[in-house]
Amino acid sequence: MSSVEIEAKTTQEAIKKACKHFNLNEEELNIEVLETRSAGIFGLAGNKKAKIRATPKKDSDIALAQEILTKIISLISPDAKISVEKKVDDIVLNIGGNNPGILIGPKGKTLEALEFIINKAVNKASEKRVRIIVDVENYRQRRQEFLERLAFRMGEKAKKTRKTVTIDPMSPHDRRIVHLTLKGDCQLQTKSNGEGFFKSVFIIPNKKKIDKNKND
Amino acid sequence: MKELIEYIAKVLVDNPDDVSVTELEGKQTSVIELRVAKEDLGKVIGKQGRTARAMRTILGAASTKLKKRSVLEILE
Repeated sequence: MSSVEIEAKTTQEAIKKACKHFNLNEEELNIEVLETRSAGIFGLAGNKKAKIRATPKKDSDIALAQEILTKIISLISPDAKISVEKKVDDIVLNIGGNNPGILIGPKGKTLEALEFIINKAVNKASEKRVRIIVDVENYRQRRQEFLERLAFRMGEKAKKTRKTVTIDPMSPHDRRIVHLTLKGDCQLQTKSNGEGFFKSVFIIPNKKKIDKNKND
Repeated sequence: MKELIEYIAKVLVDNPDDVSVTELEGKQTSVIELRVAKEDLGKVIGKQGRTARAMRTILGAASTKLKKRSVLEILE
């Protein structure tokens, strides 16, 4: 985490300088006013300049997230390595190591838990909400592809049998993928049913639409 | 195991100095007791116990590696 102290005639000017220094917007910096400009007595004695300390926010969030994750991971499986990637609004932390199974857990539960804890810890400290995504060796992408395939397959099944197909209970994130995958299919409807952990997706064939297609 | 819970709890609460963790080790199962300041209790439990569940999941993963079981108790 790097911070600079900047002096200028006014606080505003100092902030501008700080923005230029980091090449960031004002909102992306943490600004601490150390000294405000004082005119001095009769405009003579004091010629103090305004002084601020500026720290880039994003940097600190990333550093914090990485530090927390590194520490937690090191206590679980010591030989894992973490790489950081900055996307527009998200910070992606990718964990690599020779024992990814433990960190992923059944259906990605451990990964989800890690992500939740880290998001909570980082967002406690920073004002702006940042989203942190924790990934282990592209598990998320693999999971998404798997779920898309599953959704298509179940969709086909629903169309063929003209009966509602239920998919096993899944996490909100996983359910969202199924909904989005089948959104474009006008012959199907998707609905979530159940409460809490047991919420599952129903894939419902649209009977009217199918009949219409037959008549055409 | 103990350090893991202690570290996670410390990054979540407002008063990290009041976090104390004790571990009762058994042959197979060890019980980890977490105590935090009263006003931080909600932070380690979370909405609908979500944070507590996440901590238990991570603890479970860590114990699997050691071929053990661990139980997390949050004490008032």
